Amino acid sequence: MRVKKSQVAAYSTLPWHGGVYIPGCKIAWALPVVSAIEDAVPLIHGPVGCSFQRKLSTHRYYSLFYEAPCTNMDNTNVVFGGEAALRTAIVDTYEKYHPNLIVVITTCPSDLIGDDVGAVVREVKRHTEVECEVVCSTGNFVGKARSVGHPDIFYAILDQLLTTDQNIERVEDSVNLVSYPTIQFEDIRLPEFASVLKEMGIKINKIIFDHTRVKDFYELPRAELNIMGPPRVWREVMESRWGVESFVISPSQKYKDPEMISPYGIEGSARIFMDIAKKLGKEGEGEEVVRKLKGEAERKLSKLKKGVEGRKIAIDGGFMHGHGLVEVKDLGMKVSALIYQTQFEHQHYRISEEAAKEKIELDVEVAHKYGSDPLVLVNPSLEEKIKALKKVGTELVICNDTFNVPMMYGIAGLKTFNHGWGFDGYIMERVGFKYPIDLCIQIKEVLENFPKKSPLLGLLEYDPHSPSLTPHWAKLQDLFGVTSEGSKGGEMRL
Amino acid sequence: MSSYDPLHDCKLVGASRAICGIKDSAVIVHARHGCHSGVLLLRMLSSKHDDAKIVCSGLRDKEMVFGGEERIATAIKATWEYLKPPLIAILNSSVPAMMGDDIGGIATSMKREVPAEILTLSTAGYEGPDWIGYEEALNELVRFMKPSSGTDGKVNIIGFKDDEPRALSDLLEMKRMLNAHGVEINAVLTCCSFEELKKAPGASLNVVLGGDGLRCAQTMEEKFGIPYVNTPYPFGLDNTKKFLAEICENLGRTINHEFIHEEQKRVKEGIEKIYFHLQGIYDLPVAIIGESSRAFDLANFLNDELGFNVKILAVTSRNYLTPKREAGVYSNKLLVEPDKFEMDKKIKSSGIELIFGSTMERELAYELDVPLVRFSFPVIDEVSISDSPYAGFKGVLSLVEDVVNSVIARYEKVEV
Repeated sequence: MRVKKSQVAAYSTLPWHGGVYIPGCKIAWALPVVSAIEDAVPLIHGPVGCSFQRKLSTHRYYSLFYEAPCTNMDNTNVVFGGEAALRTAIVDTYEKYHPNLIVVITTCPSDLIGDDVGAVVREVKRHTEVECEVVCSTGNFVGKARSVGHPDIFYAILDQLLTTDQNIERVEDSVNLVSYPTIQFEDIRLPEFASVLKEMGIKINKIIFDHTRVKDFYELPRAELNIMGPPRVWREVMESRWGVESFVISPSQKYKDPEMISPYGIEGSARIFMDIAKKLGKEGEGEEVVRKLKGEAERKLSKLKKGVEGRKIAIDGGFMHGHGLVEVKDLGMKVSALIYQTQFEHQHYRISEEAAKEKIELDVEVAHKYGSDPLVLVNPSLEEKIKALKKVGTELVICNDTFNVPMMYGIAGLKTFNHGWGFDGYIMERVGFKYPIDLCIQIKEVLENFPKKSPLLGLLEYDPHSPSLTPHWAKLQDLFGVTSEGSKGGEMRL
Repeated sequence: MSSYDPLHDCKLVGASRAICGIKDSAVIVHARHGCHSGVLLLRMLSSKHDDAKIVCSGLRDKEMVFGGEERIATAIKATWEYLKPPLIAILNSSVPAMMGDDIGGIATSMKREVPAEILTLSTAGYEGPDWIGYEEALNELVRFMKPSSGTDGKVNIIGFKDDEPRALSDLLEMKRMLNAHGVEINAVLTCCSFEELKKAPGASLNVVLGGDGLRCAQTMEEKFGIPYVNTPYPFGLDNTKKFLAEICENLGRTINHEFIHEEQKRVKEGIEKIYFHLQGIYDLPVAIIGESSRAFDLANFLNDELGFNVKILAVTSRNYLTPKREAGVYSNKLLVEPDKFEMDKKIKSSGIELIFGSTMERELAYELDVPLVRFSFPVIDEVSISDSPYAGFKGVLSLVEDVVNSVIARYEKVEV
């Protein structure tokens, strides 16, 4: 049974990601990677709490990690060391689960006492009956970046599993598609992205993660190019050891251009596919395929977008990382307003005032480029927001995924649209010629829907500046900002 | 030490469950964000979107080297400013415990600045399982209780956990049944305000539910002379009648036979509406996976009253009464705090057709293609907001309804 989007949505407005809590620790981010490898098992080197709590995945509450064996560290281990316990646990894990890979994930206690996990892993491989591969999470500094969570595990797997003395036969014109281990809603992973590449004569070596098994990692170096959404630190391993170059779809650290960071829609997707084709010396084939698919999409869209073109939208959160640019560029909608919550972003994401100002300026520039002159609202209260949006004739509000609740707009008679895929794990899923068509169909339906006039949620009181939160949660959110202030570390810089 | 896939959490979560039941208190998790998010989510997703007051001290790398005492001081001050709780409980996690952060010292010094009561507990993950954290936390709360002469006919309910599925409905039902016997609930530990907790010695009897909170009851007996009685968790008719009988006996009250008769009549009328189904599923093989305070008593109800065949009884988290109960009826089918892998293996080979458990058993139920009735913490994939208890007389019918529906409402493609 597949996860339904409604199940995802039911948990999507929990105030995570620096709102009232940070979702988990490195274990929480490591487990999705390990569990996405069908024949791998995690082994958490720590006390039971580090295992049990992390079964509740802090970014996929609708689906737990049911298996998370641990070494059950206790007082004795903390004083005398846990290496012997880890050794036994690795052997036991192998005997129970018979995996092809055991991934040892360290925890705060095991890191603090300085257990030499790497040495235990090497010793187990040399001297025991364990016949599978065993790798361990680094938790340490890797070059200039500090890897935590899923980049850490991915790096560890590539670094420890793949040796340079392997005989790798390169497959010409082939790529790996490496995405975040997100939930799969369809039977095939990345169907359009993969099919466009194939049509250009580019072979897909591996899609990670798509029913991925350990053997798939061994075959990764066969490709000429790794294609990924945001930049990931593990690409350095592939580049330096096997000469597999990288292509980053959303190079957020490199550009200040919303169109580069969110390359969705027909033009953006055409550019991405052409850039990939150029990397592999397939410009000719790329041009032909892109021209054909682009033409088909534009023809379809030109008919579909009647009734949507020219309609006024407000975009909550601006253009970066969202699909607002698709509405503007492909659907021809006009931006009546751009809404920003810079206070929240400053308090919780440590985004400086200058950075926030620059982001707004870049968004306004893009809006002007495509014929809109939006009103800019910065930290408005709900009342101010609704009044302003109505004044400029807003017909539809494109909601921010996590921090906004469409219901509040609905009560005021404003229609809303929330595609729900803000998380960067879905970058590759959004690149393609079908995405704007799907969006257009959905937006048309929303515009034709009846307003939802008296939702039960309207019975509650909400904080004027955090309209998805009751006053209690707004206080907790502010409190979280205060207690987290000034704390640094655990950031990933690339 | 072999690998262990746990069915229970650590001391930190146990302690927070005890403290969070004090509605106006706040918990500061002195830990890195991972521990905080785990504690918060387990509470929030148990239909507690309205009262989670769990704060993080915000420990990061720097503090792991230089100490986190400044962070905890900031957290205490900020918690007071934003939430004004009468009680702030600081729960120490593995990291600051190992580093030696003097949270007791900080708490003492902060008492000059913050008018709240401040309680500190050592709840590092490696120190023990959740039930120990729960018992210790509940026991520590006794120090805030003010001596008082116990009022006749008033009881405290001890060992009540308000994040259990149907907990609040169960409590309403317990209140209703006790009121019918002229017994009033003085305080519920813990599902009360801090003021109510302080007035707990105003009861003449402590009722220990299923064995949880036994140490607290013993301490209250020593300190305030309040006797206690261990009662079953009132699942089913027998346990409910036993629950009432033991309380009344210890209070010197007589059982309200008329009330019981009327309630039984209502149960009978409900059962009669579906009795063919109940006859059909008599002897149904089932597995029960849950905390000690509930699992044994549910097993008694399912076996004795529904006629089910309890093939596996897995206790995910024990309490001080568990050793006594281990020696009872289900001893040959019993697993206590087992490794999940081993438990799953046994259950998969036992031919069961229904699982009683928590959200953690969802995958197992799917693999076995059997229904799952959720009765034990943590339940994060079902909400409990209506008055539909599993405990007491009303609970008999709700529980039977859910059990029967779980069996008959499944879609099955019939292959011939």
